[in-house]
Amino acid sequence: MSDVAPAVVLDGVRKTYELGGQPVHALRDVSLRLPRGSYTAVMGPSGSGKSTLMNLVGCLDTATEGRVVVDGENVGELSEEARTTIRGTEVGFVFQTFNLMPRLTAAENVALPMLFQGVPSRQRDQRAADLLDRVGLGDRTGHRPNELSGGQRQRVAIARALANDPALLLADEPTGNLDSETGRDIMELFADLHAAGNTVLVVTHERHIAEHADRIVHLLDGEVEREERVAEPRRPTAPQRGGER
Amino acid sequence: MNPVESFRMSVRAIRGHRLRSVLTTLGVAIGVAAVITFVTLGASLQADVIGEVSGDQPPLMTVSAGPEDDQPGPPGDSQAVFTDHDLEQLRAIEDVAAVVPQGTVPVSGLVVGGQTFGYNQLTATTPESFEYVATSGFSAGGSFGPGERELVVNEPAARLFPGNVSVGDTVAVVRQNGSRVNATVAGVLAADEGPFGNEPLPQVYVPTDPFYETRLDVPSSDSPQRVYPTVTVVATEFSAVGTVQGDVQSYLDTESDARSLKPDSYAFRVQTVEDLVDQIRELLDTFTAFVTGVAVISLVVGSIGIANIMLVSVTERTREIGIMKAVGAQNSDVLQLFLVEAVVLGVVGSLAGIVLGVLGAYAATEYVDLAMTFPVEWAGIAVVVGILVGVGAGIYPAWNAARTDPIEALRYE
Repeated sequence: MSDVAPAVVLDGVRKTYELGGQPVHALRDVSLRLPRGSYTAVMGPSGSGKSTLMNLVGCLDTATEGRVVVDGENVGELSEEARTTIRGTEVGFVFQTFNLMPRLTAAENVALPMLFQGVPSRQRDQRAADLLDRVGLGDRTGHRPNELSGGQRQRVAIARALANDPALLLADEPTGNLDSETGRDIMELFADLHAAGNTVLVVTHERHIAEHADRIVHLLDGEVEREERVAEPRRPTAPQRGGER
Repeated sequence: MNPVESFRMSVRAIRGHRLRSVLTTLGVAIGVAAVITFVTLGASLQADVIGEVSGDQPPLMTVSAGPEDDQPGPPGDSQAVFTDHDLEQLRAIEDVAAVVPQGTVPVSGLVVGGQTFGYNQLTATTPESFEYVATSGFSAGGSFGPGERELVVNEPAARLFPGNVSVGDTVAVVRQNGSRVNATVAGVLAADEGPFGNEPLPQVYVPTDPFYETRLDVPSSDSPQRVYPTVTVVATEFSAVGTVQGDVQSYLDTESDARSLKPDSYAFRVQTVEDLVDQIRELLDTFTAFVTGVAVISLVVGSIGIANIMLVSVTERTREIGIMKAVGAQNSDVLQLFLVEAVVLGVVGSLAGIVLGVLGAYAATEYVDLAMTFPVEWAGIAVVVGILVGVGAGIYPAWNAARTDPIEALRYE
C-alpha cells in the first residue's frame, strides 16, 4: 500500500484561536501521516489539541498555517462547499455521544450521508440495510435511536460513518459513553473494519482504547510529544456473546 | 438535495412536534379563514344588494344640481333650478319617454276629519311619476290629475291617520303660512319592501300644479317660474339610457334655464341606475376592504407565529443541524429543509384556512340570510399567501440554521 497516497497528511499544521482577545495556540506545528489502511490512535489529556486535530482532519475546520490533505485534496484551499463535500464523502465521523438524528430510524440515519450526496433512494435503502447487517443490527433497521441501547446506537453511528465509503473513519472517544463490556464490542468492530481495509483514526484519552491501534500519537499542549508503535495491538478476544444486543 | 427528500424530512420534523405544529398552523389558518370569511361575506352582500338594486329597473336617470366637488350620491339637498321650460326641452330629446319633476312642498300639518296631524313636507310631482318612477303600484284608486286638488298617499302614510285614510277622503293641507287647501285622496300606493328589506317611509304626493310653490325669476320669462330640485328622465328603453344621458347632460350644460339659475360652483349630475350600482359597489368594496384589512392583521400575527416557532425549532435542533453538516449537508440543504418546513406549515395552514373560511362564510351568510357568493380566486390567493407567509416567516430562521457552525452545533447541548 506504500504506492498509494496516504489517506491524511498533516504538514506543519498550526491552529490559533482568538479567545477574549488572547491568541490560544491549540496546535503548534503538527505533522502527521495516516497511510491508507492504518489504524492510529491520538492520545492526550484534555486541552492537548485532540479535538482541534479531529476538526481539522474531519474538514470541519481549516488550519491557520500548514497543510491538511485529505484523500489528496488540500483542505485549506477548498471552498466551504467543497470542504463539505469532502467531509460527506471521504470522512466518516463516530462521536462519543453517537449524534444520531432522533426522529429518523436506524436505516434512515445510516442513509443520511448518502441523501446529501444525492444517492437515489432505493440504492440508499439497500446500502443502509447492508451496513446495518455488517455491524450486527440487521434486525433493528426500523428502530429509532431511543429504542436502541447505547452500544446499538454506536453501531448505527459506525454504519452511518461507512455510508459513503470514506477514506477515513474518524472516531472521537467512541467508547466514552459506553460501559466497558459494550466498549470492548465497539473496539472489536473497529478492529474488524480495520482488518477489512478501512483507515481508522481514534481520538481518546484512555490508554487501553488507544492500544487497539497500530500506532499511538501522543499530543501535549498542541504538539506531538511522541509517536509510539504498538508492538502487539490489543485485539479483543475471540467472539464471545455475539454482541451486546 | 432533492426537494422531494426535503419535503419528506420536513413533514417528519413537523409530525415530530404534533401539538406545536397544529398550533402554529392554526395561527395561519385563522388568519386565512378570517380573510376568506370577510371577503366572501362582502362579495355575497354586494351580489345581493346589487342584484336587488339593478334587477328589473326601469330605464331611469335622475337629474340634479349639486356642488361640483361633491361625491355623487342620491340627490338630497340639490338646488331647485330646473324650470318647466327645461322639462319641455328635455321631453323633446330623442328616446325620452317622460320627464318627471320632483320637489318638496313644506307644510305645517294635515287635517283629516277635523283632527290636525303634524307633517313636514309633501312630495310634488306629476302623474307620470306613478307610471314610470314609482316602484309599486296602487293598492286602491289611481293617480291624481294634473292641476287637480288631489293627492296620493302610500300605505305607511295612510296608516298615520286614525281609521286609515282611503280613496275619496278629504285631507286639508296646512301650508306653512297657515292657509289651508283641501285635497281629495285619489289613490293609495302599495308599500313594497325596499332593496334592503325595509318598509318605505310615509309619503304624501301632490300634483306640482297647484301645490308646488317654489319659484324663481327666470331670464326666459317675465314672471317667476316653478323650479324643481330633481327631475327624473325616463328613456324609452334601457339600451337608450346611455345616449339619453349624454343628450340630457349636454342640454343642461349648454342651453338650459337651470344653467343660469344654479350657483357657479354647482354642476349638473345625470345619474343612472348603473351609476347608483357603481356607487353601492364602491361603498361595499370599501367596507369589505376595511374588514379584510382587519382580518389581514390576524394573518400577519399567524405568520409571526410561524417565524417564532421556526426560530425556536432551529435553536432546538442546533445539534441535528450540526450532525447533518458533519455528514455532508451543504448550507443550501439546511436552508432548504427549514424553508420547506415553514412553507409546508404555511400552506397547510392556508388550506385549513380555506375550509374554515368557507364554513365561516357559509355560517355568516346563513345568519344574515344572504345567498353565498364564494370568490373562487381567493382560494388561489390564500394558497399563494400561505407559501409567501411560509417563505417570509421561514427565510430568516432557515438562514440562521444554514450558517450554523457545525463544530459549535455538535458541542451544543
